[in-house]
Amino acid sequence: MKIRLLIISVVLLTLSSGLIAQDNLSKQRKAAIDSLALEKVRDLSKYISIIGSKETPFSEANRVIERTLELFNDDAQMGVSSIYREEIKYYPVRKYLERLMALNYDKINITWYNIEYISDLELQPDGRYVGVITIYQRFEGTTEDGMVYKDTTKKDITVYVEKKQTQISGRLIDFWDVLLGDIRVAETEK
Amino acid sequence: MILLFAPFVSGAQSVGNFVDDESDLYASTKQVNQFFRRFNGEEDFKGERLYPEDKDYRNPELRKTYFSNLFNNDNGLISAGLKTEFINHSLDKKDPVFLEFLGGDWFAEVTTTFTYQGKDQFLTLFLQLEKDTVGSKWVISQVYFEPFAKVFADQDSLRKTGQKFLHPMSHELDFMNLIRVFDNKTSLEQYLAWKYRPDYLTLFVYEFKKGNLAFKTINKVKFHFFQVDGWYFELSDFNRKGYNTGWLISSLAKVSKDEKELLLKYIYHE
Repeated sequence: MKIRLLIISVVLLTLSSGLIAQDNLSKQRKAAIDSLALEKVRDLSKYISIIGSKETPFSEANRVIERTLELFNDDAQMGVSSIYREEIKYYPVRKYLERLMALNYDKINITWYNIEYISDLELQPDGRYVGVITIYQRFEGTTEDGMVYKDTTKKDITVYVEKKQTQISGRLIDFWDVLLGDIRVAETEK
Repeated sequence: MILLFAPFVSGAQSVGNFVDDESDLYASTKQVNQFFRRFNGEEDFKGERLYPEDKDYRNPELRKTYFSNLFNNDNGLISAGLKTEFINHSLDKKDPVFLEFLGGDWFAEVTTTFTYQGKDQFLTLFLQLEKDTVGSKWVISQVYFEPFAKVFADQDSLRKTGQKFLHPMSHELDFMNLIRVFDNKTSLEQYLAWKYRPDYLTLFVYEFKKGNLAFKTINKVKFHFFQVDGWYFELSDFNRKGYNTGWLISSLAKVSKDEKELLLKYIYHE
């Protein structure tokens, strides 16, 4: 009898999670998820600024790289292009961050424009929602002899949103988990 | 349009120790998603999503304002008259047109670089959105690759160069005359069914699986839209200074049903 009950509840749970995945997100739910996703993107922006800064000690930068990687899907990649080289060059996120840390400038200043554009969330076949958040970064690197390199890049960041459950005091509680995915980095005319 | 963004220009804030004018970034159509929203009047001037319950959702005046900056204004080939006709058609009071993300009749053309026979070569992938049991996904629907196209002779031009065929009584000879079909590589198509068309997608899959094609990079992306009845437009990304930037209509044409078929053939290199 106990086994039968268990099977029925597992089936019901599976059916209900399938239905949840197909539901459209309400305005309120979408707003809550947007702010959760933006929080992750702001964390990423903050970490990039720290990793790039020449004032950050090597060990601290490495620690922040590990923190940054926790924001991402394991297989996430950065696809980078410039104004003069439109084709995309691919880097695993770790390699991209390590290159940023090792850039050969005496001083680096990374700042962010106060604009964040959030796309709709679309349901994908594995039941997760996917969206893209666009932000703009300003980079300024100064060499020892005073030469300054500047660029502005548009970063289109993939955001995966997944409904998960956790057990608290014997009760199943739903929560939304946000992970970052591939990032398209394009130098822009600004 | 620029003035409409002015309140947000003054709102441009200092981030860290960096202050800059962001009005061009607000004006830019930063994502294809934003093109849909602006075309439909589904976001406010700050880029915030509007929902059906919001007052300005799909407001015709809002849409009209957006429309003025949804075209590549540097393209002299899109005449002001054609643009106005398209806008009026889309904003028709009785039957306004809205774009639908999952509404079909739009697809992507992606120029890529593949290594083939030791050389880097452009290969065009056509992708379309496909609904799945749950959600949706982009799938490769067609391919164009010049080295494939060069192998296949055009049936019409072949017919002009002279006729080669298996005569209608060949069956009585156990098709022994097939030997003539295969003695020359250039005339093989003359012996194929009239309706035969080479399928580059199958060839692409075959060559890729055989290890003869290796992906290198993406070069360019654009989109073709046939969602607005009687119209075609192309959407391209314009990365330049100013306010008329991002994903904009780069080509616009009125098309009948027959013209649509012709245009599709042209896009697919058929």
